[in-house]
Amino acid sequence: MLSPTARPTRRFTGRSNHLARKMAATLAVLSGLSQWTPSVHAQEGVAVKRGGVIRYGHFQEPACLFGGWVQQWYLQRQYSDNLVARSDDGKIAPWLAESWTISDDKKVYTFEIKPNVKFTDGTALDAQAIADNINGWLSNNPDLRNPTAAPYLSDSFELAKAIAPQRLQVTLKVPFEPLLNVFAQSSQGILSPTALKRGLAVNCEKPVGSGPFIVDKWRHGREVTFRRNPDYNSAPAIAKHQGPAYVDGISWKFLPDQTVRYGSLITGETDAIYDIPAVAWKDANSRFAVLRHITGGTPLRLALYAARPPFDDVLVRKAFAYSTDRKAAVDTSFLGSLPFEGNGALSQSSPEYLHELGQAYAYDIRKANQLLDQAGWTERDRNGVRVKNGNSLTVRISYSNAFLKPDGEQALQVIQQQARAAGFDVRLQPTNPADFFAGRNLGPDDYEIVLLYWVAPGAEIFRISWKPDQNGEPNRFNPSRFQDSALWEVIQRAEQDFSSAERKGLYQQAERKIVDEAPVIGFTVLDVTLATSPSLKDVWLDHGSVGEPVFYDAHFDERK
Amino acid sequence: MSRSVEVTVSRPLGELLEFICYVPFRVAASLATIGFFVLAAIAPKVLQTHDPLAIDLSSSLQSPSIVHWLGTDQLGRDLYSRVLEGAGQSLAIGLGATALSMSVALILGVAAALSGGLLDSILTRIFDVLFAIPTLLLALVFVTVFGPSVLTEVIAVGIGTAPGYARMIRGQMLSIKGTGYVEAAKALGHPFPRIVWRHILPNAMSPLTAMVTIGVGQAIIWASGLAFLGLGVAPPAPEWGALLNAGRNYVIYAWWLEIIPGLAVTIFALSLTIVGGHLQDRLEGKI
Repeated sequence: MLSPTARPTRRFTGRSNHLARKMAATLAVLSGLSQWTPSVHAQEGVAVKRGGVIRYGHFQEPACLFGGWVQQWYLQRQYSDNLVARSDDGKIAPWLAESWTISDDKKVYTFEIKPNVKFTDGTALDAQAIADNINGWLSNNPDLRNPTAAPYLSDSFELAKAIAPQRLQVTLKVPFEPLLNVFAQSSQGILSPTALKRGLAVNCEKPVGSGPFIVDKWRHGREVTFRRNPDYNSAPAIAKHQGPAYVDGISWKFLPDQTVRYGSLITGETDAIYDIPAVAWKDANSRFAVLRHITGGTPLRLALYAARPPFDDVLVRKAFAYSTDRKAAVDTSFLGSLPFEGNGALSQSSPEYLHELGQAYAYDIRKANQLLDQAGWTERDRNGVRVKNGNSLTVRISYSNAFLKPDGEQALQVIQQQARAAGFDVRLQPTNPADFFAGRNLGPDDYEIVLLYWVAPGAEIFRISWKPDQNGEPNRFNPSRFQDSALWEVIQRAEQDFSSAERKGLYQQAERKIVDEAPVIGFTVLDVTLATSPSLKDVWLDHGSVGEPVFYDAHFDERK
Repeated sequence: MSRSVEVTVSRPLGELLEFICYVPFRVAASLATIGFFVLAAIAPKVLQTHDPLAIDLSSSLQSPSIVHWLGTDQLGRDLYSRVLEGAGQSLAIGLGATALSMSVALILGVAAALSGGLLDSILTRIFDVLFAIPTLLLALVFVTVFGPSVLTEVIAVGIGTAPGYARMIRGQMLSIKGTGYVEAAKALGHPFPRIVWRHILPNAMSPLTAMVTIGVGQAIIWASGLAFLGLGVAPPAPEWGALLNAGRNYVIYAWWLEIIPGLAVTIFALSLTIVGGHLQDRLEGKI
């Protein structure tokens, strides 16, 4: 999202005017960015204790220390820097880019890169290094291609090049307003081009960035250890301080069992843990500092396979939604700790979220039965399951605990029972994470519903979810297989519209259409929760991005 | 005038009564436990107090009470009824897996013992290799490849435990093959298949009766382990391992969800082990 002050108000055609315009725009951006001077740290003036290692208990262990899964972003946030940051209120803030301008046609972005920054392997972090990263993200080189940036930018991106040692130019084929939002996500952290030449396998184990921490060692199945980058000088404007991190390092432990993870915080074996169990939510709030961020992008939702029966019929999709009291299922299963989300299109923390869609398809079994009758599913077998042309109304739900917390499986069992009353035979297909990522139970004939999410700051996620198949190449991020050219047209118009109000209006138009067609049904919000011990201060979640835990500003209090 | 009535008890019934009269208390208690779970497996509705799958969101996480003897789970389902419902699947997996492993073991063990030579060496090496792989690991691989279900659990545990039985059968067969009565039968000119059928097999199998009984309990534990790891039957089936898996998230706040299914597995497996041990002692003439 562009800072409002950066938007040129006139269109200049002459060369001199062009230069003048660029200078004016740059000055405007710089003046606007004065708000981003490092904020005074709450502890400044008081001696902040340095040293100590944060013992952090995390849930899931990815296969690589960077990549497209949000669990990888959390790690990458610790050791790499981004071109820009995004603040809590959605404004784009400087990070490696101290300032930037956007051309009148919205196709050329010119970034002024912070000087004297180095990667932790000694490579200079200049405009060329960033250009190499960005071009690699959009290339077909599997060692460099970025699974998050590529689906966002592959249609619009043309080239990134260094036009001066500290000046980067990114050229687009067509305007794409969410470009800076995409650059602000941790998966787009800039990595050392020297290190990237070692190949993906080596980089997965020990990636090299310019961030506040350096990946020291990854003991698979146990932990990743980070040590402080003593020369760190490139913190984002949204950080609470500048310079090296306060702590000596992080011991990022993988504790997949939630009882063990929470227990480790109670017994003092960890200083902070991720994902507070629902059953311990109240206890955690009374004993520890609790941080929560509801991620933007999509909520955790049920994607209904709309390309074949039974869910190729919108009436059946809506009937399934009405037949399940998802709010009660979520409220009970998560013991009130996690809000229900009825808007399947967009998460409630996205700026374009429509609150009136938050309770869409509230439980109404009578309506569900009416819709199914209307759709021709009028007969029932002896078990009460509806039948049409000899086919049972069987619905297989594929899910994995990579995406679903343990309590979520309980909620699915509630849905299973409730939908039965309307005549759905719901079968649950739990799949372990390794199999799930390998595509088990995700083939075109393997499921009728799959439970998934995709995090992003806002509605730019629509491009990922709803881009129609191109030249016979299926959009693998669209598990509902719902394809609507009118919807795609609206999404594209929104992406190219630099007027905040109009863009928001277009995205909301798309949002209504998605909810109305019901290829996805809301389930829960996707949240990031952290509990920290009282002795650990100033840990924060990156609300502007997708809630990555940030330990850069953290420090232990004097008593420890 | 009184008339004395002589009651004649048939010999097998008499032996049974004698067995019951002299059975130790621990064995009697174990038999009663096994009987209870077998009844629960065959006719669960007779013993259940609630529908084991019925969700009642208003009764979530209730501790044991008069209404819900063993408490309720997060979705308000009656845990006592779910444990009984799970007995069917757990027992089916235990019996099925043991039957499968015994069948495989019998074929391979007998073939190795009777053939001797190269085939014996090859089969023995295969047993050794399979024996070196932990049962749970072998079962894990199998379930991962073929997907979780009751059938794959039966096959996974059955194949995982078969090498141990095969080795045991081979050893039994070899020891009996060299006994005097087998040599005598050979000297009398009995054909070898008849010797195997009449003399070797029955004597080799007797000690295995006890092992099978113990093996059923062991198989239930393996299957529960798989389900605990999320590789068992799909929800909402209340297989004991799956109940343990679901309960572990609440172990601090709702102990009954973890303790009760754990006790069911332990008590049932222990009962089978006690009865198996008693049988073994009797067959070996120790009691």
